[in-house]
Amino acid sequence: MLQMPRRSDTSAQNSSVGGAAVSIRALSKRYNGLDAVVPTSVEIESGDFFAIIGPSGSGKSTLLGMIAGYIDPTAGQIVIDGRDVVPEPIYRRNIGMVFQNYALFPHLTVAQNVAYPLKIRGVPKDEIARRVAESLGMVRLEAFAARLPSELSGGQQQRVALARASIYKPSILLMDEPLGALDKNLRDEMQEEIKRFQQEMGVTVIYVTHDQQEAAFLADRIAIMRDGAMTQIGSPRALYEHPNSRFVAEFLGEASIFPLKSVSAGRAGEARQAVLEGGTPIRIRTDAEAGPGSFACIRPERVTVGPKAKALDNAFAGTVRESLYTPGSIRYRVELDGTGLSLKIRVLPQADMEFYEAGSTVDIGWSADDMSLLKE
Amino acid sequence: MKTLEKTLWSTWSRFLTCLVGAVLIGFLVPILTVVLVSFQSKSYLSFPPSDFSIRWYEQFLGNTDYQSAIWNSLAIGAASATLATIAGVCTALAVIRAAVPGAAVVSVLSVAPAVLPQIVLAIGLFPISVWLGLQGTLGAVILAHAVVGLPFPFITVCGALSSYSSRMEIASMSLGANAFQTFRLITFPMIRAAVVAGFIFAFAASLDELVLALFLSSPTTRTLPLLLWEQLNFQVTPEIAAAASVVLAVTSLLIVAAILLPRLGKDK
Repeated sequence: MLQMPRRSDTSAQNSSVGGAAVSIRALSKRYNGLDAVVPTSVEIESGDFFAIIGPSGSGKSTLLGMIAGYIDPTAGQIVIDGRDVVPEPIYRRNIGMVFQNYALFPHLTVAQNVAYPLKIRGVPKDEIARRVAESLGMVRLEAFAARLPSELSGGQQQRVALARASIYKPSILLMDEPLGALDKNLRDEMQEEIKRFQQEMGVTVIYVTHDQQEAAFLADRIAIMRDGAMTQIGSPRALYEHPNSRFVAEFLGEASIFPLKSVSAGRAGEARQAVLEGGTPIRIRTDAEAGPGSFACIRPERVTVGPKAKALDNAFAGTVRESLYTPGSIRYRVELDGTGLSLKIRVLPQADMEFYEAGSTVDIGWSADDMSLLKE
Repeated sequence: MKTLEKTLWSTWSRFLTCLVGAVLIGFLVPILTVVLVSFQSKSYLSFPPSDFSIRWYEQFLGNTDYQSAIWNSLAIGAASATLATIAGVCTALAVIRAAVPGAAVVSVLSVAPAVLPQIVLAIGLFPISVWLGLQGTLGAVILAHAVVGLPFPFITVCGALSSYSSRMEIASMSLGANAFQTFRLITFPMIRAAVVAGFIFAFAASLDELVLALFLSSPTTRTLPLLLWEQLNFQVTPEIAAAASVVLAVTSLLIVAAILLPRLGKDK
């Protein structure tokens, strides 16, 4: 399995501010007899950018709330740099937190907001002034020090929140959908800013979002949550290329997914013969055990369209039902003749490439290695 | 069609304007009457007043009964409004922020004194105040008026707390502030205007409260409304009108202050 380079590989350069390692052990939360988070364990390395994604109600914010300390866990431990912080109140955990709606104090100026954690810690006045100036410089808001939060744009408020949550050099930064209230362009810009900020600080970040692209852009590792459990944890690439369930495959990126009827016997990692519900034979890679309720999954960009498709493990004749040219990619929906199955396909436009209009017949195909077997 | 509709609307809005005007006049005429009859020299209440004089104000201010009643009213008002405000802020925090079990019941109980007949409260408080040995002391009236004043700070502070997310307090604590620091530096500044307004309303409620004072005070702890009431039973002179006008002026000033103070806070 290929891994993205981790922040921890270079954290030696930032040893002065390095982040803490977080170990979550059998942490759970029940509300009125319902599991918001089932016992969950995960190790987050020092300096890691760890994203938690999942649909709303999947327990990701509850998990973050327990780490921050404003939600009491039902059971389990949260070990930060070797110390279980569950018995400690929120204000002793030395964690920085950035909230979705920023939670800036409306009656304090930008500079007073950023100074707040230092004032609480009894830092001398002149040092506060120096560090606030430095911190506002880092998020490019020096000119706004005397403004009230209400006089700032959403992106500026977010940067104040980032400066405030990091000025006391917490070893962990928690972010709860920090870009959720921003528009698309600003979100892209802020993603880069957050990434740069985290790398400069070397801090461990735990980042909750429902936006899979944001998570893939920012995170070294992603945990996908569903019904209060982490269904899979891995690098963005591992999750995309080796999803362990239909849920993960559908949540992260696009996929065409078909129920499987049977899979022939064979060794793990080998291409095997399989039959889809409806009787269509296919060849599939199997690194998971096939069982009842298994699925075959193919990503849209792994499907070849045109004459070359005939030579591939899975080759079909099909009819284009929808075709759409968008900047940077062509999207098709192709129905496989005689099967009733329909596939999502995405190809990179090339200079001499043929564009198939809806209604035209095409050859499509894909390698067995690109078709993965999924559990429900 | 259009013009007919327009005519109907303008007639309707003119009617509403007149109605509102009539209601306001209905409220204001008796109040203004009191003020008008207080500025005359005759020794009985006559309307319309035939001359202008401040003699009853002079007499009112020189009257030691009134002086001690004013002093009692101010002391009781300040103390009971302080108690009511402290209790109201704490209860509002518990109901809105802590989501204590039975929060709905606590809210209803905290608002009840503003709605329940005060005579019921008075009949209930009388034996308690005897039992506590407070009967006839300033303490009895202060406690009773704190109960009557409680709904005001409770309602205003609940409103202020509901107007912003508890994320503010969580954010403060995540930044290292304990519960007390968070209240002092974040919560209180954000609800300050509501606290002040609640205090003023509680103070005003105490200033013109009669029924409880009637039950719970003694001749030495007589409040201004109680003295007025006693005077009314005994002799009706424009001095009472002068005293009532003073109560009216003070209460009006308080209410204007309650309305203006939050705005001043915002400009800051």
